[in-house]
This record gives sequence, structure tokens and C-alpha cells, in this order.
Amino acid sequence: MHFELSRSGDPFFSKMHPLLAGMLQAVAIDPWERYPDGSGRLLPAPGDEEELCRDWHDFVQPGLRRHFDSERVIVAEDITLMKEGKGKTPLWSLEIPHSHCEAWLTTLNAQRLALAAEYIFTEKELSEKKAPDLSSERSIALMQVNFFAFIQECLVQVVMSKGFHSETNQTAENE
Amino acid sequence: MGDPGILESPETNVSEAYDTPWIVVVHNDPVNLMSYVSMVFQLIFGWSRERAELHMMEVHSKGRSIVWSGAREKGELYVQQLHGHLLLATLERASP
Repeated sequence: MHFELSRSGDPFFSKMHPLLAGMLQAVAIDPWERYPDGSGRLLPAPGDEEELCRDWHDFVQPGLRRHFDSERVIVAEDITLMKEGKGKTPLWSLEIPHSHCEAWLTTLNAQRLALAAEYIFTEKELSEKKAPDLSSERSIALMQVNFFAFIQECLVQVVMSKGFHSETNQTAENE
Repeated sequence: MGDPGILESPETNVSEAYDTPWIVVVHNDPVNLMSYVSMVFQLIFGWSRERAELHMMEVHSKGRSIVWSGAREKGELYVQQLHGHLLLATLERASP
């Protein structure tokens, strides 16, 4: 797989093996449906205080869930624009508009966190550098976590070099 | 000592409790990428890359880092934003 910036300066992934393309297409799947146990990690408690946790559950978490869903919709639309090459083993490509990078980062992160929690990967497993292993559902899930991490790293570099696009960008110092 | 012209009510005490300093703590998570955590700190707090990386490394090496302190309401907003980027963050009362 190859990563570069397109002529318009957007992240562009090309020469993607069909297996990886299939994994990437799965990023748009609803993690709450796909990973019923692991998706609990996506809405953590805000602390130990009972009242705070109750209010968080009632008033904040529904908004966060809507935010994650709307970011996933953006990603799902980009996924439909993935292009399949020609040949015996057609390689795929995908261009991500710079303005969509934050939606992608959030969605990729949500999938990685839900997958890791669902399969209870250890820190050691997550940091091991091994050849891809397709022998079990669990090893494929670990490969997916690592592949999404690669995409995330590429997008973080783009965002850091080109600046943030989000309207939520704001500054604050400790008070 | 309070103003002699103002009665102190229980409501005042509740308000004071809310004004007690609170801290926002980010906790280590082996899944979140270090570069991503650093980026989120820069995005939310407007920090320099160097400062963001210092806090990110503190999270990584010590398991947690205090990223903000102040009034509860604003702390809640920061925790919400950090959760919006899927970081493990909590709001805690500052130790006296």
C-alpha cells in the first residue's frame, strides 16, 4: 500500500490489497452493533462522583453518541468513493478530503478501541511487531487494529502539518 | 469572615462547593496512539507541540496527567471534548 498527498493536498492511499480494502470498508460499521461488549469503551465514565456520572449518562453521552454517528456517516460516504483497480488482483485507492480527516481519525479510533476491548487485547499484543496472521478471528481483529493505526498515523501527520480544520478548535490555558 | 449584611444560605455553600478547584485528568490507554493524543491536546487546549508531547509522555509513563484545573463547569466541557476524541479523561476534585 502506498500513501501520499494528492494534487489537491488531500491524503491519498493507493495500491491497497483487496484484503486491506475490505478491512477499511468495515470502518464504517456501527461499533455499537458490531462490538456489543467492546463499544462500552467509547463512552467512559467522567469520574467517581455518582451525581456527575448520572448526569453524564443522561445529558452528555447521548450527544457524544450522536457525534460519533455523524462522523461515521462522513466516513461511510468517503468509503463509497473507494476505487477498485483492474487486473487479477485489483488494488484499491482512496482519497480523503482534508476537511474529513478529523471524522476519519475519530471513527478509526472508535473502531480500534471497540475492537481492542471486544477481543481484550493486551498491551503486549498491541505493541508486538509480527507478520500479519490470518489464522483466527482474533488475529484478524488485531491486524485490523494495527492497519487502522497505520491509517491514523498518516492522517495525524497530515493534520499536524496542514493545520486543524475543525470549527471546535479553541485555545485554553490552565486557570 | 462573611459580609455582615449578607445571610449565608445553604445554596451559597453549594455554589462554593462548585467553585472548589477541579482537575481534568487524562489516563493511559494502550490503544490510543501517542501522536493522536498529542494532536488532541493541541486541538483542545491550544498547546504547543512541545507542551502537548510532555503531557502525552506523562500519560504514557505515569499512567495519568493533569491537563487542566479550574471551575467545575469548564472542566466538564473539557472532559466532554476529550471523550469526543475518545481519550480516557476524568473530572476530579483537586487535592487540598
